[in-house]
Amino acid sequence: MKAVNCASRSVREINQIIRGLIADGEDEILVQNPGARHNLAVAILRDVAITIDGSVGYYAGGMSDGVRLTIRGSAGWGVAECMLSGTVVVDGHAGNGAAASIRGGTVVIRGDAAARAGIAMKGGLLVVNGDTGYMTGFMMQRGRIVVCGNAGPALADSMYEGTVFVGGDIAELGNDTVVSDATPEEHAEIRETLARYGMKAPEAFRKVVSGRKLWNYDKKELDAWKAAF
Amino acid sequence: MCGIVGFFAKSDDAAPVGATVLAMLSALGCRGPDSAGIAWWGRAADGLVVRVKPGDGAESAARRREITKRAAALGRVRVSPAGGSLLRLDIAKVDPTGLARAIEGVGSDVEVVSMGQRLEIVKQVGAPQGLERDFGVSKLRGSHALGHTRLSTESRVDLSHSQPFWAHGYPDLAIVHNGHITNYHRLRRLYEQEGVRFYTENDSEIIGLYLARKLSAGASLGDALRDSVKELDGSFSYLAATGDVFGFAKDPFCLKPLIVAESDGVVAIANEEVALAAALPAGYRAREAGASAVSVWQRAAVAPRRRSSGAGKAA
Repeated sequence: MKAVNCASRSVREINQIIRGLIADGEDEILVQNPGARHNLAVAILRDVAITIDGSVGYYAGGMSDGVRLTIRGSAGWGVAECMLSGTVVVDGHAGNGAAASIRGGTVVIRGDAAARAGIAMKGGLLVVNGDTGYMTGFMMQRGRIVVCGNAGPALADSMYEGTVFVGGDIAELGNDTVVSDATPEEHAEIRETLARYGMKAPEAFRKVVSGRKLWNYDKKELDAWKAAF
Repeated sequence: MCGIVGFFAKSDDAAPVGATVLAMLSALGCRGPDSAGIAWWGRAADGLVVRVKPGDGAESAARRREITKRAAALGRVRVSPAGGSLLRLDIAKVDPTGLARAIEGVGSDVEVVSMGQRLEIVKQVGAPQGLERDFGVSKLRGSHALGHTRLSTESRVDLSHSQPFWAHGYPDLAIVHNGHITNYHRLRRLYEQEGVRFYTENDSEIIGLYLARKLSAGASLGDALRDSVKELDGSFSYLAATGDVFGFAKDPFCLKPLIVAESDGVVAIANEEVALAAALPAGYRAREAGASAVSVWQRAAVAPRRRSSGAGKAA
């Protein structure tokens, strides 16, 4: 394993060193003293294990394809945004827009996620062990979100497709959503996923999917459209 | 974009708030280098401490003398070095409104930048580092402080348009804001009809005036912050404090970042965690505040510090 010390280095230098190590065949990298700075370990397109020893700022692990990133602290806005595949695990809390627009891979937040977690997800899996904020899963198009704690207001507002599971309370459902109980099979599947990250599943999950009424404009649904916009 | 920071020591009246807030602001400087400022609440004066912008031009010594003279007509005044282009007056207990009117009567470009028993504000054009150069802010001690580094989006860049904003007319109340108040013009017209004077075209100015009206009507700062989430429109994360209470409010759409770290002794808040990492010892836990979130912290009663006269003689 090779270590990269962020202290007194610019973000560009840090990311270039990480890329250099990967190009040299290193498959385990430790990033020290991140100082909650932005854009760390972005656009990593290889299957390498990167551990950031502390909190990060915005967009950590964004635009990546195959990285196994662990953040031993909190993450700012847009952690893992636009990821194609790989795993990003945040030991602390995550800021706005965690896993925004990911197309694949897994994002795990061990603490809470702030507003708009999983916004516009196009695939992949987002797991939040704690609570999530306002508009979780807003306009998600595919993929799965698992919230073990409570979900904030406007949950999964205007979602196209995909599934949101919530183990705690739902403050308020978003527009055009349908809620039901998770099936025993689904619960077993989630339990297995959580166990992989050493997390315990709540006893039951509510399952939220799209009502699909906003897919096509229908004059009879004018009220639903008004509410959505 | 703007960077806002706040630091609150729960039961220490002489915490190193200046050095802490300067470190936080310097880390956030990239959010906006147009102007910067710090508000802090230090040792309580017997009367009022006033910081004055003596004018926009090359302010003359005569102007400073005239301001001091008019203040002295109301009560005993001590002039102390203020740094930068600000004038600092320490004045016996007088009516705050009358004092501001007397000082600002010297010229239309004269502005009382801060007034309070404990509150003082320094601010100017330029990046946060200039605050240390001109005011030596790293030496400031107190119970809490706010800081701001500005990216100007709509109104001009000068000292008056910089933050923190004192809530003109209400001693010891100040705010820092990141965002945009979209019902500013409507509220401003309403306030102006009632005779409220605006000093800038910066929409953030209205937050302090809004809170001052609420507090004058008997609301607590917490209630005023909660009301503001419903009555101010737009995107905002802002911090506000009086001599005893420190708090923040966030808009219902959660459009601006605000990261909060709290321990047994202190509360530190900033737009980005990078500011907390620069100022706090390792091991703090940061969390982003949610939509419509409001929190306030009340200063604990602090036992008066015994002053030691001899060097190194602890009380």
